[in-house]
Amino acid sequence: MFALALFYSIAALLVFCAVMVVSRRNPISSAIYLVISLFLVACLYATLGADFAAAIQVLVYAGAIMVLFLFVIMLLNLDPEHLRGPEMHGGEIVVLLLTIGGFLGIVIAMATAAPTLPSGIFTLDAIEKVGGNTLVVGMKLLVNYIWAFEMASFLILLAIVASIVIAKKPKAEVPSTTERGH
Amino acid sequence: MGLELNEFTINLIAFVVKFAIMMLIVLHVAPLMVWFERRAPAMMQRRKGPNRVGIGPFRLFGLFQSLADAIKLIFKEEVVPDGANKFFYHAAPVFALFPALLVATAIPYGPDITIMGYRVPLSITNVDVGFLFIFAVASIAVYGIALAGWACNNKYSLLGSLRASAQMVSYEIPLGMSLIPAVLVYQTLDLNQIVMAQERGLWGVFTMPVSFLIFLICMFAETNRAPFDLAEGESELVAGFHTEYNSFKFSQFFLAEYTSMFTLSCLASTVFFGGWSIPFISNAQIAELLANPFIPGQYIAAAIGFGALLLKAAFFMWLYVWVRWTLPRFRYDQLMSLGWKFMLPIALANVVITAGVLVMMRHQIGS
Amino acid sequence: MAVSLQHYMVLATILFTCGVIGVMFRRNLLMVLMSIELMLNAANLVFIAASRNVNGLDGQVMVFIVMTVAACEAAVGLAMVIALFRKYGTIRTDFLRVLRG
Repeated sequence: MFALALFYSIAALLVFCAVMVVSRRNPISSAIYLVISLFLVACLYATLGADFAAAIQVLVYAGAIMVLFLFVIMLLNLDPEHLRGPEMHGGEIVVLLLTIGGFLGIVIAMATAAPTLPSGIFTLDAIEKVGGNTLVVGMKLLVNYIWAFEMASFLILLAIVASIVIAKKPKAEVPSTTERGH
Repeated sequence: MGLELNEFTINLIAFVVKFAIMMLIVLHVAPLMVWFERRAPAMMQRRKGPNRVGIGPFRLFGLFQSLADAIKLIFKEEVVPDGANKFFYHAAPVFALFPALLVATAIPYGPDITIMGYRVPLSITNVDVGFLFIFAVASIAVYGIALAGWACNNKYSLLGSLRASAQMVSYEIPLGMSLIPAVLVYQTLDLNQIVMAQERGLWGVFTMPVSFLIFLICMFAETNRAPFDLAEGESELVAGFHTEYNSFKFSQFFLAEYTSMFTLSCLASTVFFGGWSIPFISNAQIAELLANPFIPGQYIAAAIGFGALLLKAAFFMWLYVWVRWTLPRFRYDQLMSLGWKFMLPIALANVVITAGVLVMMRHQIGS
Repeated sequence: MAVSLQHYMVLATILFTCGVIGVMFRRNLLMVLMSIELMLNAANLVFIAASRNVNGLDGQVMVFIVMTVAACEAAVGLAMVIALFRKYGTIRTDFLRVLRG
């Protein structure tokens, strides 16, 4: 009962924040609403017993990626033509209605299906006995999924090099002071 | 009445009591620090600090100066700059204060006490992933500074806030990495378990000295203090990101800064200096020694543990003030290269070497 | 009635829809990137909710990898936004049409 009430309140806030993200004119407002949404998603992970995923979500997504977004928005100093809300020209309203209709269909199909309740041996108590969620997820990550882990770290290295190269200022011709004989 | 004293009710009552006591203490650290921050350098510089403000004939070494400051800050007129974004201008101090207070809830303030057969841990939230929770929440503090500078419609504020947030984000990484060896050595993320492991064995500062040094330096950088306070340096960008904030909002930023200083000091004493434990005596022995018919020994032992933690945190706070008034400020590029080119490789090497040593030690013990 | 998988999937679908609408109807490139992050989070939510029903914790491991990929994609995407702004002075998707046939 309490779990259901908690889920519904977090879900209502989450849907509100997601709609705000998409509809605000100011990119910084959208970014802050997105930070709040990511925080709420981390709360949902915590209610599902995935402590490690919740902590990593706040650390990485809300704490690092969104800070990067905020930096870029602040540094770009956008002029008003960039600060318009969602724009729909002419026939695009049909696309909007089709999208909403399609997803509404999926939502109705899922909501009316028979609910599947959690099962299996990986219950929360069993995980607690072994040593906690972090230990079990860590073991799985480093034993079963070691290749994915290493590829992910290599991908991060590639992304670091790529973003530095792409965002670097092109070298301008700077007159050197030594030419003037100093 | 349907009130039975089961585990839930006991934990709820304990939660309320712990929360009240902790809030009282944490919120009073800031005025004390304001006073200390002016008397300690006065002592170091051979002058007297503020010692005039008094109530009646009592001057109390100038402690009432903090009270006078607080009253002034509350009653001063708030001037909102003209083109400021109203919502973020008012919301930014909240983003700065909220993580500082939330981190203070995850630190174990004393040993577990048993009330009516139920174990009550003396940290307000008893998360199993103690470390991760603390770092996750501390990384939200960057938003307060970033938004504060941007919302003021002031070039210097924006520059100051971007510098400060870049600095905080850069030093978060070695801060977290320096605590990974602690997880490796103590085999747990739970702060309470780490303190109990230190009670049985050596303090963290002896088993992981390099980690302690890195943590200490990054602690100063994370709170924008001491030699790393370029972003709010008084002679540089006016007051950096809080130029346009006055009266109560300024005091909120101040409170956030001193609170995060206090919580990071508590964290340092918990991981490296044994937290609430006293060396050479275990908690059970203290409870036995002080058993009397009036108050159960464990409550006195818990109070002593709490006092020990506060003493260690006070040492770190004094260290903060000492370092601030002794060392000159870093230049911004020096600061950033220190963080990325010096701290990060050392933290990484520390993790690798600690892991290697532990594997060798366990191989010897195991096989 | 406990919280079942259907609850989480409905919520994730709503989030995903918001993300898709953001990508389709926002002309600011940064807003498009933020909507993509919203979609990735909806997928992550389904992974973790479903890992409770399936006999294992593979969902939580996948979320870890997906978060890593999302971080890399955000970093490179933002670097490209900076480079585009420097070159063309605009980040409106209507005006960035050099590659258009």
